[in-house]
Amino acid sequence: MKRLFLACCLAWPAAAATHYLTISGLGGEKDYEQRFAAQAREVEKLLEGSGGEVNVVTVSGAGATREKIKAAFESIAAAAKPADAFVLMLIGHGSYDGSAYKFNIPGPDLSGAELAALCDRVPAGRQLVVNTTSASGGSLEALQRPKRAVILATKAGTERNATVFARYWVEALRDPAADTDKNEVVSALEAYRYADRKTVEFYETNKRLATEHAVLEDTGAGEAVRAPSTANGQGLLAASFPLLRIGGAQRAAANPAKRELLARKERAEQRIDKLKYEKAAMPLEDYRRQMQAALLELARLQEELDK
Amino acid sequence: MGRRVAIPVGVSALAVAAAVFTAVSGQQAAREGASRPGPVMTAGAKDCWRARHLGKAEQAERCFEKLLDSRDPAERAEGAWGIGDYKSANSQFKQAAAASPKDANVRVRWGRLFLERFNAAEAAGLFQEALDIDGKNAHALLGMALAMAESFSPKALEMGFKAVEEDPDLVEAHELLANLALEDSDTKRAEAQARQALALSPEAFDAVAVKAAIEALADRSPDALLEQVWKVNPHYGQAHAIIAHHLVLNRRYLDGIAHYRKAIERDPRNWAARSELGVNLMRVGEDAEARQQLELCFQNKYDSNPTVNSLRLLDSYANFETFETPKTILRLHKKEAALLRLYFQPELEKAVATFEKKYKMTIGQPVRLEVYPDHEDFAVRTMGMPGLGALGVTFGHVVAMDSPSGRKPGTFHWASTLWHELSHVFVLTATRHRVPRWFTEGFAVHEETEAAPDWGDRMTPEIVAAIAAKQLLPVAELDRGFIRPKYPQQVVVSYFQAGRICDYIQTKWSYDKLLDMMRLFGQRKTTPEVIQQALGMTPEAFDKEFLAWVEREAGTAVSKAVEWRKGMTGLATLKRASDYAAIVEQGNRLIAIYPDFVEPGSAYEAVAEACLELKNKDGARRALEQYASKGGKTPESLKKLAGLQEEAGGKAEAARTLEKINYIYPMNGEAMHRKLGELSLDLGRTQAAVREFEAVVAGGPMDAAAAHYDLARAYVKAGDKGKAAEQVFLALEAAPGYKPAQRLMLELNADKGGRKENE
Repeated sequence: MKRLFLACCLAWPAAAATHYLTISGLGGEKDYEQRFAAQAREVEKLLEGSGGEVNVVTVSGAGATREKIKAAFESIAAAAKPADAFVLMLIGHGSYDGSAYKFNIPGPDLSGAELAALCDRVPAGRQLVVNTTSASGGSLEALQRPKRAVILATKAGTERNATVFARYWVEALRDPAADTDKNEVVSALEAYRYADRKTVEFYETNKRLATEHAVLEDTGAGEAVRAPSTANGQGLLAASFPLLRIGGAQRAAANPAKRELLARKERAEQRIDKLKYEKAAMPLEDYRRQMQAALLELARLQEELDK
Repeated sequence: MGRRVAIPVGVSALAVAAAVFTAVSGQQAAREGASRPGPVMTAGAKDCWRARHLGKAEQAERCFEKLLDSRDPAERAEGAWGIGDYKSANSQFKQAAAASPKDANVRVRWGRLFLERFNAAEAAGLFQEALDIDGKNAHALLGMALAMAESFSPKALEMGFKAVEEDPDLVEAHELLANLALEDSDTKRAEAQARQALALSPEAFDAVAVKAAIEALADRSPDALLEQVWKVNPHYGQAHAIIAHHLVLNRRYLDGIAHYRKAIERDPRNWAARSELGVNLMRVGEDAEARQQLELCFQNKYDSNPTVNSLRLLDSYANFETFETPKTILRLHKKEAALLRLYFQPELEKAVATFEKKYKMTIGQPVRLEVYPDHEDFAVRTMGMPGLGALGVTFGHVVAMDSPSGRKPGTFHWASTLWHELSHVFVLTATRHRVPRWFTEGFAVHEETEAAPDWGDRMTPEIVAAIAAKQLLPVAELDRGFIRPKYPQQVVVSYFQAGRICDYIQTKWSYDKLLDMMRLFGQRKTTPEVIQQALGMTPEAFDKEFLAWVEREAGTAVSKAVEWRKGMTGLATLKRASDYAAIVEQGNRLIAIYPDFVEPGSAYEAVAEACLELKNKDGARRALEQYASKGGKTPESLKKLAGLQEEAGGKAEAARTLEKINYIYPMNGEAMHRKLGELSLDLGRTQAAVREFEAVVAGGPMDAAAAHYDLARAYVKAGDKGKAAEQVFLALEAAPGYKPAQRLMLELNADKGGRKENE
C-alpha cells in the first residue's frame, strides 16, 4: 500500500502547484492572539521556504474578517487548476452548538458549511483541510467530500477546550523527523501522525486528561478515525498528499540522463515493498537475506543518482 | 512533595489494623456478646455471639438460625448476620431502625455490620446517628473509634478513650486501646489496657493476644499466654492474626506470615486472616501461594478491597517482564520495560554493590525490584488498598516503587527512591527487621544524598515551619511522627528529621557510628540505649545538640521565613509586571535566604527566565546551574540549562545536566535522549551514546529510521559493527530511501567486502 502511495506522489504532475491558505482566527485573549498569529506566520515561512511551485496565502488576526477570507479564497480559486492541490489550515478557536460548527473570526463567525462552500469553489483536484480549532470535530460533516482529506484536532464538536494540536502540526512542518519514510516529502498523513502523537504525549507528560483527540477522514463519506489504516480504509489520500517537500526529490526527475537509474530505483523500491508484504509468509532468514540485498541495491542506485 | 516509606506504616498500617479488627467475620460481635451484657443487642443475640466467641460453632449456628424466626427485626438481623446472610441482615436492620427512630443501639449494631463488610464510611454515619440520639453511648463511641482507625485517623485513640470514659467496663474498648498502644510501640500502655480488659472478662481473648504479641515482638514465646485462649476456645485463630498484625507492622513479614498460617490452621474460616496471609505472601514475593489464598477468600465471598485489588494486581503481572541477574530481579511493565531497563538495571546493580561494600554485608538472595507505572497498582502492592501517597516500599528483599511514568515529571526522582529503598533492604536484613522506624528511614534518607548531593528531598516550607515552631520530636519519640502523625505534614517532617539526625551523626562522629547503631538495634536495644551506648550521651543531651545544629543548618530559611514568604509574593507581582531587572534582584535575594527551595515556582527559575528576557544567557545559566545543584527537578528547566551550557561550549556540562533528567523522567524524551546521545558521541562516551540511542529506539520513536540509524552510528563508534549493521538494516527497512543510512550500509558492507558478495 505504501508503494502505491509513493507512486501517486511521484506521479503528481511536475507543473502542478499547491495552493496553501492559512487562516488564524480570533484569539479572544492576548496570549491566544499572539500564539495563533505566530503559528500562522511560521506556517507561512515554512511553506514559502519549501521550494517548488507553491502559492502561499495567509490571513491572520484582526485581518481575518469574513470579507478578507472570502477574498483570499477567490484569489486562490482564480489561480488554481484541476491538477493543483489546495490546503486550507485553520488555526484558532471554534465552537459547536450541537448542530453546526463555527470558526471564530472578527465579526460574524464562519460556519463549517460556509467554509465548505468556499473550498468547493477552488478547482484544485485534491484538497486538504486541517482544522486545528477547538470543537473542530463538529465541522466534519460539512467539510468532507471525495478527494478532500479532512484533519480535525478534536473528534467531536463537544471537545470544546482550546487545543494544542496546532502547535504540533506546525512542528511537523518544521521537524524532518515527521518525514518518517525519508522520501523528502512530508505527506499529510505523516504530519497528522506526528502532530497527533505529540499531542497525546503532551497530555500524558502533563498528567492531564486529554481534552482533544485528533481524527482524519479522507474518503469523503466515512467516519473520521484516530488511527488511519488499510483496515479502516482511511489515510490513502492523506498518505499521497505531499504537504511539504523538503529535499531534491523533484530535481532528479527532471534530468533525462538519470531516467534509467530512476526506473531501476523504482523497481528496487517495489521489490522492497513486495518483500515487506511477504515477510509474514517467509522464513525470517530468507526475508533478511533478500531484504538486505534489495536495500543494498537501492543504496547503490541512490549513490549513482546523487553523483 | 512525595516521600518514601520503607514499610507499610502510617496509613497502610492502620488499614491493616482496621482489617484485622473490623473485618473478621463475627469476631467483634462475639466479643461484645461474650464480654458483658448490655443494652446494645438483644439477649438472644448475645447468647449466639457468645457461643461463637467460645468456639461452639454448631451451637452458635443453631442459635442464629433460631433468631431468624424472631418477631424483632433487629434480632432477625443478628440471625442473618450470624449465618453470613449480610444482605438480609442489612435489610432487617434497616427495618428495625425505621421502626425505632430513637434507638441508638440498633444503629450501633447496623454500623458494626457495615464495618465488618468493608464499608467504614457507612458505618461511621450510623455510629454518628447513634451518637446524635445518645451522645454518651459507649458502643457508638467504640464503633466510631474502630471506623476512624480504618480511615487512618489519629482520633481513633481519642474516641476509644471516650468510650471507656463513658463505660469503664467496656471490654472491647480496652482491647482496642491495647492494640492501638502496641501499634505505637507503647508496650506499657498496651499491657495496662490488656490487663484491664482481662480483669473485666477472662474471655477477652484479644487482650491475651495483645500480650502475646508483646512477647512475640520481644522474641519470646507467646505460647504460654495463648494456651489461656486455647483452653477455652481452641479455634480462636484470631489471636494469632493479632500477633501477625503487629509483627507485620514491625516489618517482620515472615514471622507475621507464620502466625497468619497458624490463625487459619485453627480457624480455616477466618477469611480476614487468610486474606492478610495472601497479601503478605505477595509482599515477600510468594505470588503463587498468595493467589491461592486470596482466591479462596474470594470464592467464600470475602471480597474486601485488599482481596479483590490484590487478585487484580496478580492478574496484571502477565503484563510485566522480569529480568534476572545473580543479585537482582527486576520486574517492569512491558510497555516501558525496554526503556526503563536501560536505566534501572545498572542503577539497581550499582546500589546493591555500593551497599554491600558500605554495610559490609550481603543480602543472601537476589533483591527484587518491582516498578509500577500505575500508582494505584503500586498502592495495592504495598498495602492491599489503593490511595497511599508513598513512592516506594520495601518488604525485606522485595522493593516496590512507582515508575517515573506514574508521576508528573519533576515531582519524583526515581533513582533517589531506588537508593532509599535499597538502603532499607540492607538495614532490615542487618537488623533482622528489628529496627525502629525512625532509624531505617533516617538512614535511607541520608543515603540518598550520599549517592549524589543533589538527590533526596529538600527542606520544604512545611519543614521550615515545623523547625520554627519547635515541632521536631525528641529522638526517643520520633517513631510517633511516622505512625500516628499529629499534624498533616508530620510524616514528611519526621523523614526530614530522621535523615538530618543521621547526617548529624556522620558529621559529628562518623559513618561507622551509624553502622554501630544499626548493629545495636539488631541486638534489640532501644533508641535511648543505642544513643547512650553508641554516642556516649543521653537522648536528651543528643536532642539538645541536634536541634541547635539543625537550626543552624537551616539558617535564614527559618530565621527569615516570613521575609522570604513575603518576598515570594512580591516576586510573583514582579513576574506579572514583566519587570525583569527587579525579578533578578529580588530573586537572588530570595535564593540567598532560602537556597533549598527548588520546588515549581522557585526563585532560580524566575531569575533564569528574567535573565533570558534581558539577553543575559550567562546569568540564566548560572541561576539554573545553582538550581540543578540544589536538587531542582523540573525537566523543562534542566533541558533549558543543558541548552545554555552547550551554547556556552560546555558539552560535558550539558551532558551531565541531561543525565540528571534520566534519573527523574526518562519517558517521552525522544529529543532529549537523542541530544544526549549526540553529546556523548562528541565527548567520546560511546557506551552512554549507545544507551541513549537505545532509549530513543525503546521509546517507539516517531522517526524510527533515524533512531535506528543513530544507534547504528553509536555502535560503529563503539566498535560493534555487527550490531551497527543490524540497526542500519532496521533503519532502511523503515525508510528504504534514507540516504545517510544507505551510505552507512554501503560503508559497512564495503568493510566486509560485501559488495562482491552481494553482487
